Amino acid sequence: MSDTEIVEGYTPNFEAWIKDFNEWQTRIGFDPSWLGDYRFDIKFDWDTAGSQIEFGDFKGMPKWERRMQIPQQNIRDAIISMVSVQGDTEFASVEQQNHLLATAPTEYDKKSAMRIMCEEQRHGWQMAYLLCTYFGEQGVREAAKLLERNAQDGTRILGSFNAPIDHWLDFFCFTHFIDRDGKYQLKMLSTSSFKPLAASMGPMLKEESFHLGTGANGLRRIVKQGVIPCELLQKYLNKWISTGLDLFGTDDSTSAQWAYVYGVKGRYDERESDVEADRGHLNEASRDLYFQELREEMRRISSARKEGEPELFIPSDKFNRGIGNYAGKNYTIRGEKFEGTDQEYQDYLVSVLPTEEDEDKLMNEYMKQDWIQYREWKGN
Amino acid sequence: MQHVALLAFDKERCKPFFDRLTELFYKHHHSEQQKPEEYEKLLYMVRRPYDNNMLDMIDEWMGSGPREWREETTREVKLALYAIRYPDTLLLDSFTEKPRSDIKRLSSYLHFTHHTYAIWDEDTRKGLEKLGIIIPSTESADPFIYGAYVSAIELLKDVAPFTCFLEHDVPRQRLFQSALAAYGREE
Repeated sequence: MSDTEIVEGYTPNFEAWIKDFNEWQTRIGFDPSWLGDYRFDIKFDWDTAGSQIEFGDFKGMPKWERRMQIPQQNIRDAIISMVSVQGDTEFASVEQQNHLLATAPTEYDKKSAMRIMCEEQRHGWQMAYLLCTYFGEQGVREAAKLLERNAQDGTRILGSFNAPIDHWLDFFCFTHFIDRDGKYQLKMLSTSSFKPLAASMGPMLKEESFHLGTGANGLRRIVKQGVIPCELLQKYLNKWISTGLDLFGTDDSTSAQWAYVYGVKGRYDERESDVEADRGHLNEASRDLYFQELREEMRRISSARKEGEPELFIPSDKFNRGIGNYAGKNYTIRGEKFEGTDQEYQDYLVSVLPTEEDEDKLMNEYMKQDWIQYREWKGN
Repeated sequence: MQHVALLAFDKERCKPFFDRLTELFYKHHHSEQQKPEEYEKLLYMVRRPYDNNMLDMIDEWMGSGPREWREETTREVKLALYAIRYPDTLLLDSFTEKPRSDIKRLSSYLHFTHHTYAIWDEDTRKGLEKLGIIIPSTESADPFIYGAYVSAIELLKDVAPFTCFLEHDVPRQRLFQSALAAYGREE
């Protein structure tokens, strides 16, 4: 049951940050009038956050509600780092996507993207609020950095959030694959020992489901329309899925293990699981669940394809990885070890990932047609 | 009526419903009788400018039978579908007797043209009743009764935990209304 508190008054630290935020909007070309009557409320679901630490070495103790209750500086640092990374991704995605509004295929897509960008900014506000309100000068400095790094300059913390999103196929892939990773991260923080962080996650997750739905339905509408061949679509799936898998971090991660020990970040299924956590392989466990979910979703998306089109599939989790045990190793999209030289592997990658020629064909041939199933905007 | 229903709202009573919302939604929306693929088609096919054929398709999916309305009545309803703004329901009061006599049909037109309005359904009403939200049973489109029904579903959306929100290609009103219908049918 959720009983959302909307914060009415802000601290001077956060008020000052809001001024910087307004400048950031202007700098990236996001017109505040696009927000309409949307408000960047700070929302907390205290009930769903729980009152006792749920896992790790502090299990059973009351959740921490203020900085000074957090027993060690390294735990404070870990929380600040997680809040900063989360906030960084929220603002980065707006920087990556806002140029797409001008080329939206339908009014429905434009309004959906606008809503996503509003909500991503709200999520960024929420993270900045936590930093400014609970973590003193250190928090204020980190909140300022959220607006200083920039996706267009390639200075955002995580790689996926510096990647250009050149067109709407990338947008739907991003919202389906990368925002889905976001859902996992938010859910893992929803059981956090730091109560204001845990309580922030419920409202954010509610909003995030719309973002994922936009991606999944967008891809399904493209497949249904049948203008962009599945063979080409598959190349974009190959590109984005490996990026999404990398976002879960390294294998055998000690920082994930420490976050678990501190009770700061749990497993994706922390409350539902009845088995002990394998603390040495936490990232792998969440990534596996994500991977399974992608497979199920892709079956649904692929079932809409036209007769004669090849089935769309999720490539192997070994393919094209930049992080983890398979990073930099040569595997095919089917998960087999590539037999050949590195040069031959580069040639193979050209055949399974989008090339400049593919991009050109996509944007100048297919996207000039009715390439996505029309959907009317029904809002008022 | 709307105020009474919402002021008497007991959040704790909703917990078992929210815990099972996903399962309940699948039970109703994905049942053979609900023809989910036809529903999805209507989400896309019903669009401006509205014509009689679109209303016929909705009637067919609903199993409402043919409309026995004069052409000017159909025109009046189509005009209202353009004019109405969610969550207003008072416009229903301006209709003639014929369309007003069938809340199921009218609510289905509202749902497919606006998505935010919920389809009226007796099982859904019973589902709300099990949650302590009492909405009178009716067959005619009373703007206050339908208004309370719509507001109650909106309220449930507001208070539901994030676990209820599927990434599914159905409007959230349909998600909650379907789950309520399955819940209302249970003994």
